[in-house]
Amino acid sequence: MWTRFMQLSSLWILMATFATDSTPLLEVKPLRGVDFTLQNSPTVQKYLIETMPGGVALLDYNNDGLLDIFLVNGGQVVDPMKMPENFDRHEPLLWNRLFRQNKDGTFTDVTSQAGLADAGDGNYGMGVAVGDYDNDGYPDIYVTNYGKNTLYHNNGDGTFTDVTAIAGVAAGGWSASAGFFDYDNDGKLDLFVTRYMEWDTKHSKTCGAEWRTYCPPEEFPVTTNILYHNNGDGTFTDVSQRSGIAAKKGRALGVAFSDYDEDGFTDVFVSNDGMQQFLFHNNGNGTFTERGLEAGAALSQDGRRISGMGVVFQDYDNDGRPDIIVTELPREIYSVYHNDGHGIFSYQSLETGLGALSSGSSGWGIGLEDFDNDGWKDLFVAQSHVLDNVEAIDPSLQYKQRPLLALNHNARFERSDPGSSAPTASRGAAFGDLNNDGWEDVVMSVLGGPPRVLLNRGGNQHWLTISLHGARSNRDGFGARVRVNGQTRFASSAGSYLCSSDKRLHFGLGAAETAKVEIVWPSGTRQTVNDVRANQFLEIREPEKP
Amino acid sequence: MIHLLLLLWFSGQAPSSEALDHLRAGVAADKQHQFDIAIVEFRKATELDPNLAEGFVSLGQAYMEKHEYGNAIPPLKQAVELKQDLIPAHQLLGYALLVEGYAADAIPHLKLAHEMGALGIAEVQTGQLKEAIANLQAALEQRPNDPDLLYYLGRASGLLSKESVDTLIAIYPSSARSHQAMGENYFVLRQMPQAEREFLDALKQGPDTPELHLELGDVYAKSSQWEKAEAEFRAQTKLQPGNAEAAYRLGSALLQQGKAREAREQLSRADHLRPEMPETLYALGKTALLEGDVNDAEKSWLKLLSIEKDSDLAVQTHFALAGLYRKQGKVSEAEREMQEFQKLQNVNPGQPATGPH
Repeated sequence: MWTRFMQLSSLWILMATFATDSTPLLEVKPLRGVDFTLQNSPTVQKYLIETMPGGVALLDYNNDGLLDIFLVNGGQVVDPMKMPENFDRHEPLLWNRLFRQNKDGTFTDVTSQAGLADAGDGNYGMGVAVGDYDNDGYPDIYVTNYGKNTLYHNNGDGTFTDVTAIAGVAAGGWSASAGFFDYDNDGKLDLFVTRYMEWDTKHSKTCGAEWRTYCPPEEFPVTTNILYHNNGDGTFTDVSQRSGIAAKKGRALGVAFSDYDEDGFTDVFVSNDGMQQFLFHNNGNGTFTERGLEAGAALSQDGRRISGMGVVFQDYDNDGRPDIIVTELPREIYSVYHNDGHGIFSYQSLETGLGALSSGSSGWGIGLEDFDNDGWKDLFVAQSHVLDNVEAIDPSLQYKQRPLLALNHNARFERSDPGSSAPTASRGAAFGDLNNDGWEDVVMSVLGGPPRVLLNRGGNQHWLTISLHGARSNRDGFGARVRVNGQTRFASSAGSYLCSSDKRLHFGLGAAETAKVEIVWPSGTRQTVNDVRANQFLEIREPEKP
Repeated sequence: MIHLLLLLWFSGQAPSSEALDHLRAGVAADKQHQFDIAIVEFRKATELDPNLAEGFVSLGQAYMEKHEYGNAIPPLKQAVELKQDLIPAHQLLGYALLVEGYAADAIPHLKLAHEMGALGIAEVQTGQLKEAIANLQAALEQRPNDPDLLYYLGRASGLLSKESVDTLIAIYPSSARSHQAMGENYFVLRQMPQAEREFLDALKQGPDTPELHLELGDVYAKSSQWEKAEAEFRAQTKLQPGNAEAAYRLGSALLQQGKAREAREQLSRADHLRPEMPETLYALGKTALLEGDVNDAEKSWLKLLSIEKDSDLAVQTHFALAGLYRKQGKVSEAEREMQEFQKLQNVNPGQPATGPH
């Protein structure tokens, strides 16, 4: 036996401006006033936390209609770390930062005045989740850390208050991505927190022989994720055990929400590193059942464990059902789990073309956004290898990489110039319309550097951006299924990796000048708005009565 | 066993009865694994009868059983001096010398004893690679799964291969074959840009050199440059239409790009050229599924499972079949395949990790 083998809707959409235009859709634009460096503090000890931050949130914290930016910082790691761990977060250089957008498009650092300067010396920053957990109309911020997490309540006057202790959501250990969602449809946002592994600097290891390097996740024990139920009085209850979430231990890095089986309850997908992925089906009675394997959304097409990092849970092929895409390491390909209906997914990385686009890449933050407004959600991935010395270990791999922008042509992804020629060590990616021009932009976090902002050059296609205002449902409308001219989005600010994106729902309309908007709210209320004019920001309020 | 042989050997001779008593006492102690007592008894026997070659052999063997190979050598040497045709003495002396690192000295004794495995190992250590390979292969016929023999055969082959390549590069440094050999070295070291350069140089020197396009295609495939890989594999299939591996690799490169129809054509060709290759059958199933031909996908995978029952590929195939049945709504079949997958996965938990984390 020979040696084992080593291994359209219509034509005009395809001919749209950007498909033929050589000018990149996105361009790197430093934002005036955004002065921030992600301090990951790499050491020769190769503490694993150093290569994992950091989060980006795009939110309108002061409700002035302009997106602001919140950036999570890492911390100071010394070589070697001493116990108790102290990351010197009182140093301004190591703060998380909130940048308020001004009317002229510049930004102002409002971290101190907003009351967000104290990140906690024992915390090394990771990610961020945003949601209006008390339904007061102002977005609140939850920061995940290696250490204790922090919930900042938005006071509505430009300031925040650390309410972690009262709310009871500090968690502990090593938290990664988190997200707000309403799992029991009681109109109050609950909180899901992923945790990566059982690890601390005292029990850290280095791997590699000639080259000291970060250890693979398998070197450390698995741990549980946390589900907090919102009690509606400013406190949360840890329901991880009774909900069944804690029954499955993993090495979670990403989380995204959607109702994949259309039973009216939001489900949870958790991307795990170096093992099977978790699809927590919401049973509708306060409990979840992990169904990744039986649903076909846990492993690669060949049944192999995958290095799941970032995740997006949206409908890429406009069939109305949310699909799942997971970013991974090179030698794997990004996994596309197509939702076939009836609670079943099929692996379609090759069919979509994403297999060929991703097999040499290492992906983190991810989003499905219609960047060219042609009516099909495109894919953007922040890319970089996890090992900062990977070239020395394997010269065929690169540490710093360019992001992937893959335009969606009738559910097939094709590479496009991401507008960012310089490779970076990118991690998080948050998506939103920063300049309110109707075209989606991206903010990426970069290890040891400033965030990379990719602004959309725009074009001639039409668009519609919808803000949901829940009444019986949660105020943010998270969990609503919104259909516009045949496209579907599931309302959520979560997904990607460590990040929180613009909660507004963006739709590209192509040449259409009007749209039909159909919403299924988490409360079950169905709402239709006809003949909506294109190219506007539209707020839709949920009817008070069903 | 050797002691018994020796007792039989000298049964027709006439050592002194006292020496014989010590010899027997030594054998008895040796059987009880009381090696120190055995050594004392054998030594007494040899002191009483300095011409008793068999006594020296027993003494040497007792030392070897204690892993004191250095101490075993002098009595064994004495034995062969006394009796040059005493095969057990040569056998033990050869082993002792080999273990102590005197490979060249061990060789004549191992030859006399017809110890082909140990002889082959000694020859590897002395650089007599061709002889080593022949002797190791002969030994492997008797003991096909012996890990030491397998290891040394691999090492000897590798060293011989390196020797040939070094000679090639020294004599014909600019030849296609030299560049090809250099490219292969870089490929193994995962230095893909250098490997690519060498293979391209090789192609310049000898465009028709067999396998070059295949190897260059592998470089591109390893770097996930699928279009370039496709081009090279295609060139190889043109040069060698009967090369099943080239057809397989072309099919795989096409599959990676989602070009299902063409991939299926090439994989079918590979299957025709070399039927029942599990890898081809697995990929064929994937392409069939990609084209929506679930019946053909199922057929390929079931055929694969009729060939391979519990390999990694079989594990993958059960998983793939589970997905196929699930998509068809065949719940019980899907569950059955998932159970097989999970059962085999427990047996073979070592799924390959993919690249450095």
